[in-house]
Amino acid sequence: MTTAAVTAGCGSSVRMDPPTIPTPLVEPISVTVGVRFPDNFRSFVHEEEALGNEEWSIDLGRSNEVLFTELFGYMFEELRIVGPDEDPALLGLDAFIEPSIDAFEFSVPSQTKTDSFAVWIRYRIKVYDSGGEQIANWPLAAYGKSQSRMLRGSEALQEAAVLAMRDAAALMIDKLDRETGVGATRAKRGPAPGPGPAVPDAQTTAHDGDKNDAG
Amino acid sequence: MTPADLGRLSTRILLTGLLAALASGCVTSRVENAREGQTGIGDGETIVIMGKSYHLGNETEDSYISCVEDAIGRGRGGLNVIPRQQFVDALFPWFEPRTAPAETKGLVKLMERPGVAERIAEKGVRYIVWLDGDTERVAGGGSMSCAAGPGGGGCFGFAWWQNDADYNASIWDLEGLENAGTVSADVSGTSFLPALVVPIPLIARTQSAACKGLAEQLRAFIVSDPQI
Repeated sequence: MTTAAVTAGCGSSVRMDPPTIPTPLVEPISVTVGVRFPDNFRSFVHEEEALGNEEWSIDLGRSNEVLFTELFGYMFEELRIVGPDEDPALLGLDAFIEPSIDAFEFSVPSQTKTDSFAVWIRYRIKVYDSGGEQIANWPLAAYGKSQSRMLRGSEALQEAAVLAMRDAAALMIDKLDRETGVGATRAKRGPAPGPGPAVPDAQTTAHDGDKNDAG
Repeated sequence: MTPADLGRLSTRILLTGLLAALASGCVTSRVENAREGQTGIGDGETIVIMGKSYHLGNETEDSYISCVEDAIGRGRGGLNVIPRQQFVDALFPWFEPRTAPAETKGLVKLMERPGVAERIAEKGVRYIVWLDGDTERVAGGGSMSCAAGPGGGGCFGFAWWQNDADYNASIWDLEGLENAGTVSADVSGTSFLPALVVPIPLIARTQSAACKGLAEQLRAFIVSDPQI
């Protein structure tokens, strides 16, 4: 993973490049899912003045969008990225997902009197069925911690943020279906009516072949 | 011999005595094990050294885990160790801090997940060693002052501190899906920093001693050394 960080004065500016996750050992859920990323999810910046007048700015950039696209591509039989002007009800989806970030928090060693940087990201996953009715509103808290002994402060904070996002990915693989019932949306919807309307702007992401091959 | 010569001589004797005393007596260690099952490892079998999850409050240092990984795989009789990040990535997401099994009871369910048993067999992993514990400074004292001027500088005083390294390793046997036993290392070390113009650090390598002691005992435990 390539990262860029600028350290200046009494704080740091951290800019993250998108992380990747390994191919998960999981059977994809047999549904066609659309996902739309709100603007503040696609480009998220957190600024905070920590204890001791350290000013921190963390720019997650497109990290969340890239991570969730990759993750959902592994988790679902078929994934479509839904544009801001598209109506998901016209795309022939079994379910439609809209993730968002409720809160981003972090701690630095000067606050906790330890060697650790920690990051908490509170996501919210809203799931809608094919009729546009909200069937789940799942808040999930992800946590990542890194040690500063072997890394510079800004690098340790990036590492903690990446670990928090990876933690969110693990949590969703483990519990998303159970918590939201997204896997049952195809059965509720009934048999597919045939090819849906043409969607020129919709980007389709589907992973064929062996999902369990981590290479 | 002038009084100044006598002073210098007594200082040298004092320092030499101090060095000799500290070099031999500043670290004490105790390494123990408790066996719950038979162990042994074949030629093609490997082990993984993992830190217990920080979601459970564990604070084991990454550097300590890396040290044990290196020490247990090094030299004649070294075991085949798979780097932990490689193992965690290959089994993603089932050995993440949130999802990794906290007890051997969770191994049965884990092995039933798609692809997990096959991936573990492919890697030849026979044992997972879970480390927890950390090294902490438990005491310290003394004082030292340093000064510098146009003609030079120097420090005078004496400081000391004591570190305790307490680590525990649980060995899970993936063949029987059971806990094979535990190995623990309890090491205490006191470091000194006397300064007569120039500070002379006498550092107790507490964590390093805990790493070496635990790794040696772990290796003997896993290969089922009859003396254990």
